[in-house]
Amino acid sequence: MTRITIPIGPQHPALKEPLSFLLTVEGERIVDSALRIGYVHRGIERICQNRNYVQNVHVVERICGICSHIHTTTYCQGVEALLGLQVPLRALYLRTLLGELERIHSHMLWLGVLAENIGFTTIFMYAWRDRETVLDIMEEFSGGRVAHAVNVIGGVRIDVDEAQVDSILARLDELEQQIEILLGVIQHERTFQARTRGVGHLSVEQVRRYCVVGPTARASGVNVDMRRDAPYAAYDWLDFRVITAEEGDVWARTMVRVLETIESLHMCRQLLAELPEGPLAVRAPRRVPPGEVVSRGEAPRGELVYYIRSDGSDSPARVKIRTPTLTTLITLPDQLRGVNTADVPAVLAGVDLCIACADR
Amino acid sequence: MNNETMNNERLESAMLVEAILQALRETFPAETVEAQAVPIGETFIALPADCIHPAVRLLIKRFDLRHLSTITGQDTGSAIELLYHFWDGGGLTLRTSLPREKPHIATLTDLIPGAAFYEREVSEMLGVTFDGLPDPRPLLLPDDWNGEAPLRQRPTAPTPGPSPNPSASLRTGSGGGEQKPPPQNWGGLRGGGEEETQ
Amino acid sequence: MNDWLSASFALFIFPGFGFLFVCALAFQWIDRRVAARLQGRIGPPWFQPLADFIKLMAKEDILPTGAHEWACAALPMVSLATVLTAALYIPVGGQAASAFEGDLIVVLFLLSIPALACFLAGWLSVGVYSVVGGNRSLLQYFSYEVPFLMALSGPAILSGSWSISRIAAQQAGATWMVFVQPLGFLLAIVGLIGKLKRSPFDIPKAKSEIVAGPLTEFSGRKLALWHLTLHIQTVVGLFLLVDVFLGGCSIGLAVPGVLVFTVKAVLILLALSVASVLYARLRIDQLANLGWRVLAPLALAQMLTTMWIGVR
Repeated sequence: MTRITIPIGPQHPALKEPLSFLLTVEGERIVDSALRIGYVHRGIERICQNRNYVQNVHVVERICGICSHIHTTTYCQGVEALLGLQVPLRALYLRTLLGELERIHSHMLWLGVLAENIGFTTIFMYAWRDRETVLDIMEEFSGGRVAHAVNVIGGVRIDVDEAQVDSILARLDELEQQIEILLGVIQHERTFQARTRGVGHLSVEQVRRYCVVGPTARASGVNVDMRRDAPYAAYDWLDFRVITAEEGDVWARTMVRVLETIESLHMCRQLLAELPEGPLAVRAPRRVPPGEVVSRGEAPRGELVYYIRSDGSDSPARVKIRTPTLTTLITLPDQLRGVNTADVPAVLAGVDLCIACADR
Repeated sequence: MNNETMNNERLESAMLVEAILQALRETFPAETVEAQAVPIGETFIALPADCIHPAVRLLIKRFDLRHLSTITGQDTGSAIELLYHFWDGGGLTLRTSLPREKPHIATLTDLIPGAAFYEREVSEMLGVTFDGLPDPRPLLLPDDWNGEAPLRQRPTAPTPGPSPNPSASLRTGSGGGEQKPPPQNWGGLRGGGEEETQ
Repeated sequence: MNDWLSASFALFIFPGFGFLFVCALAFQWIDRRVAARLQGRIGPPWFQPLADFIKLMAKEDILPTGAHEWACAALPMVSLATVLTAALYIPVGGQAASAFEGDLIVVLFLLSIPALACFLAGWLSVGVYSVVGGNRSLLQYFSYEVPFLMALSGPAILSGSWSISRIAAQQAGATWMVFVQPLGFLLAIVGLIGKLKRSPFDIPKAKSEIVAGPLTEFSGRKLALWHLTLHIQTVVGLFLLVDVFLGGCSIGLAVPGVLVFTVKAVLILLALSVASVLYARLRIDQLANLGWRVLAPLALAQMLTTMWIGVR
């Protein structure tokens, strides 16, 4: 049978960010694929070396749109460790709160993208309509829908008052009802399952070989979550479950993410109920003593690693960022082998790509 | 999740680090193998470059430590330093130094295929050669990059690199030289690009 | 002279091109509005389909190098011509512009041409997405057409006539075919969704997979005509179903025939709109499975039962 080459990207309706695939297709089955990234490489690591620590908080926020807060959190906690700062409890709780709200937002956006990619526009519309609730909460809290600029080195910059807490809790209840409806659809709707079950399978062995992290790894049964394994911010004091699944296909990843969203809602409620009093930040000196730090966080897509080395000046000597999407990108050629061309958007959406994060 | 469970886990990972240090000392009797505590909860172990591959094989076979978080490369001015960050309930990093002239080290992709992207990035950003890396193409830099390694420390008078403002040539109208189209640098496909049939 | 006038009137105004054009725009608006409300959106204003058509007509019309220029220009016009010709034999409000014994077969044949034209459009407008989309268009055709044909044959056999006008006329004062052959009606609707490439069978133009399928490389006036063909095909398909299953314009009340007819067509359109928002898009192999393992046997059973009753 003759083979044709189908390009997916850099511009394609299935991709939200530029990424290039060349698929070699025989009939409707994919035989081989080649991947290229780097279309939005901005040289963030080099930029960080040319800015001081305070400016870098804003630089790393702009690595990605939907996981901006976890980037600044992980960066700030690294610098705070170098400075030996003790961040106030209230600041840690507020950081965690925004981190979980961001996780909810990211997963709901992702659900819409997956639904659109398999042609289920109705779920796309519902998920993105409900996502507006989270965006409104985040905008009232921080002033921005996606770029929050809440973290500073030493704590946070913005507080919540009683009225805001009550309003957030009320809207979280609304949101939970809506998410339960979406969960019901995903669990029972037959066409959704027909398009996602058995598609893009990753075995436990493949996950470990490629060092995959995040919901993609958890959907294949690998139980790893930095919030529980390397607790940072206020996760030490929170009670939550880590959601895993066994099937390892796109449907399992959907279930993991939607259940994680509901779990994040519970965590937000805990945080708001137990919010301690206290200052919002401690003063941070501009010069950081020489040293190095490895800081880890759990972004919506998995383990985020920052390595920062300081040489005693007010500018870092090295900032190394490893984002979770890199670990899932490397599995895509394996996942796509033998898959129908019609399932390519489902597979691409299933791993929740954030190319801006991967390219930096 | 409470403090007691946390302390138990920290104790477990401290014991694991001890066991790893012991195993490394047995494997490399000629080297001084010491653990250096680094925030946040990380352990750094320095090894010579040619010991990294056997050390990783030891970690995988004896301790099932297979999750490589990333490979950091940095130019410290006197040497190129590579850090291999592992995670197994606790953070363990292997540190090694390479000379600045033609640095090279064995690839880890035969043991951990997931290292490929990290090695490609270190290779293009710092000019390190990973011997045996099956696909050594640059990962992030564009096809028409001028070849310099961006994360190397620059000399005090920076040499002009690629034009920072590509549209500047459009304004002058004459163009900044012939822009040849970037090469089709796909690799990995056997004959797929040519056999486009209708 | 009168003959000429009335023929021109029938051809261009009613129930010809003018009426079909207005119906195409109106039905498109209803469809988009209903689907939007079901998805929690508002939907476009009433003049949106007309604005889209005018905008496309005014846009630049380019094709990639290597595409067959004259064939790509002719295909949308041929498509449009076939659906308009098919409309001539379908009675609207009681009178078809032309009718003869066997015009049902001719209409079904004419309505199949757009699927073939789509495939050719994909093939001849040279582009990877177009070719894949064209292939899918043909595969999809083979999946839904057989159940559709068999479902529509049922009423013909029961009425003893293969002329749409007579099938519709015979239901006036008697039970409509939809009550006698409900399964056939359902199969005809499913077949129509496939024929019109509506969700969940919009596989050939799956936006997230192959951009726009066979029509990816079309733009400007050619694309405007393709879209017009699709919408007029919707109208013609709905009118066909109303005539064959819902008794044409007959109802036990003294209401103008055309109004009744249009209301019935809109009711079927509402069913199609609701179906388009309820499901995810199927894969082509899942559709082929559905078509040959479920729909075709059901349609065959239906037709055999009908023939047995007819013989008795």
